[in-house]
Amino acid sequence: MQLTIAHETVYRYDATVSHSTQYLRLTPPQNRHQRIISWQLELPVAASESTDAYGNILHVLTLDTPHSEIRLRAHGVVETCDDCEDGAEALPAAVFLRGSALTEPDDAIRALAAGHADAIAANPESGLTALMLAVADAMPYTSGATQAETSAAQALALGAGVCQDHSHVFIAACRSLGLPARYVSGYLLTDRDAHVASHAWAEVYAAGRWLGFDISNRQQPDRHHLKLAVGLDYTDASPVRGVRRGGGSEALQAHARVTEADQQ
Amino acid sequence: MHALTLPEAHHYDEMLLASGGIRPHYRDFAHWLHSQSPQTLARKRAEADLMFHRVGITFAVYGDDSGAERLIPFDTVPRIIPASDWQTLEAGMRQRVTALNAFLHDIYHEQHIVKAGIIPAEQVFSNSQYQPAMQGLDLPHRIYAHITGVDVIRHNDGNFYVLEDNLRVPSGVSYMLENRKMMMRLFPELFASHAVAPVQHYPTLLLNTLRHASLAENPTVVVLTPGHHNSAYFEHAFLAQQMGVELVEGQDLFVKHNRVYMRTTAGHKQVDVIYRRIDDAFLDPLAFRADSMLGVPGLLSVYRSGGVILANAIGTGVADDKSIYPYVPDMIRFYLSEEPLLQNVPTWMCRRPAELDHVLNNLAELVVKEVHGAGGYGMLIGPAASAAEIDDFRQRIIADPANYIAQPTLCLSSCPTFVEAGIAPRHIDLRPFVLSGREISMVAGGLTRVALKEGSLVVNSSQGGGTKDTWILED
Repeated sequence: MQLTIAHETVYRYDATVSHSTQYLRLTPPQNRHQRIISWQLELPVAASESTDAYGNILHVLTLDTPHSEIRLRAHGVVETCDDCEDGAEALPAAVFLRGSALTEPDDAIRALAAGHADAIAANPESGLTALMLAVADAMPYTSGATQAETSAAQALALGAGVCQDHSHVFIAACRSLGLPARYVSGYLLTDRDAHVASHAWAEVYAAGRWLGFDISNRQQPDRHHLKLAVGLDYTDASPVRGVRRGGGSEALQAHARVTEADQQ
Repeated sequence: MHALTLPEAHHYDEMLLASGGIRPHYRDFAHWLHSQSPQTLARKRAEADLMFHRVGITFAVYGDDSGAERLIPFDTVPRIIPASDWQTLEAGMRQRVTALNAFLHDIYHEQHIVKAGIIPAEQVFSNSQYQPAMQGLDLPHRIYAHITGVDVIRHNDGNFYVLEDNLRVPSGVSYMLENRKMMMRLFPELFASHAVAPVQHYPTLLLNTLRHASLAENPTVVVLTPGHHNSAYFEHAFLAQQMGVELVEGQDLFVKHNRVYMRTTAGHKQVDVIYRRIDDAFLDPLAFRADSMLGVPGLLSVYRSGGVILANAIGTGVADDKSIYPYVPDMIRFYLSEEPLLQNVPTWMCRRPAELDHVLNNLAELVVKEVHGAGGYGMLIGPAASAAEIDDFRQRIIADPANYIAQPTLCLSSCPTFVEAGIAPRHIDLRPFVLSGREISMVAGGLTRVALKEGSLVVNSSQGGGTKDTWILED
């Protein structure tokens, strides 16, 4: 399936910013799941390309002349298939057993996970699917209920969240059972208008391979999903992360349009 | 004449035998000490205090939020180590640091030592000090710990033991240098009568080591400090000044086009090597802790693409962690095919059934620590614990053996030290500094810390510890 993506992020500042540095994970990697047909970044100035700790494609953007707006555009066409395994891995799976600030489990998360431990041990795929549904049931999708800094424990206590929170809770639960789990940021083709910016789901290493779980959509990811980046949590995999000097308060506008490319 | 209080019979004193005899390498010093009047020595000690005060605020310790400043007490009785002891120590530390650097390269590449079954995978990869950002990264000369501080103690069996390795941002070398300067000023005659190995060339060796860390032709080196609120700020400024390089804070640096630049009055200048005195977590707010601006946004990306060298490397903490320490002798055998020259403190890992048995049968004599515990929390000191406490700990260990290690209770050697009532033995340790560059280099010496409270084994400056000049005698 061919997906066309147009993702625009605009930061506007009240005052002039004298210097800013951004880490951009806005370029999808090519792997078994996805083949890049074309991809372009449109940035205010040229950025340096490298890979980050998790093997993601990273662009570092430095703006050192005064500015009051940063406009980042990523667009391209990617062919995807239902097989969601990446193939080559940058890191040993055991690295994803580590906790992180946003995915530290509390008693509630541990208890939620423990209820599924036996089922997962017996059959990882069906057991983890049941855990995914339990997480989705425990915290219905509610936009605006949480912020980017909300932790897994806070979101579960709140009983509401978005794809980021669902993924964090699910990841924390899996790690508490001794299963390596990671955060995935990316895009999703959907006929609903629920995900207007980028999407997030989770992957768990069980029985020798990485399995994907799109908790918010209560399904395993498939050809409708396009992976951008992975990490321990949102902070590692977020498409845009920046630091600036000056600028006062900021307004962020982000919009990702995912469509099926015309079949010619 | 000063009365020397003798050490207790089962203790090892660096100068005195329990019988009252003087060890050979201290005889000249003891002779000199006896020839000095108490008034002269008291005047010299006051002079030292005054001069350290004048160097100033510099030796301040910021132990608590009150911002109280203290001088770290300096004791004028040197800790003297004979050449033969130093040869053992030096060879042992070179070996140890070589193996630790090999270990760091290995776990951030092929992980042979894990695959060989010597260290369990989860003890490395789920260790919070393991940095995924280092996986697969090739460093020039495969050096991770350019500067290592190895803490050693002499036990009452007369042997040296390594207490811990410090591979992150070891501090204290400025005290080694300033203490020597002070002793030479106060007692020049002692340096005429003793062949004391010099230490003053340490900054030169350090600069050579840092320059060698880069593949650049004529590398620009800077010292990166968290700022003047940091308790070791004096040392950061001191070393930068001694090496003749810039002392910078995070805000003085920025990243552009895969390089790091420093803002100077003459414009921007590229930086090749950063001797960073900032912990990993604060180096880059875009990659690590976002709530701190001590570091440089984007620094990790430049580092990973080889545009700058950090000394020490990121992620060295995985090699000096309490849970990894017991494996260092195995690392030496695995990477170097040698037997360790310096001993580890024997450590029983309760995760191993046979060792667990030993621990449970000897709790009253052992120190038991949580593998990831710190600051004395979750610790049992057997000889000082009640039967109920021991029994409680027994249950905790049985419930989760992998979470505990145990060690014998050590008796640090003592050294005569000026106290209120004359001169009495006080417990000491030693931190020499090992530099890994073109080759491993060390100055013959180190920082001797002394627990000033009678009977105390805690040498930390935050807990009433002082320092001494350390003399390595040349043959």
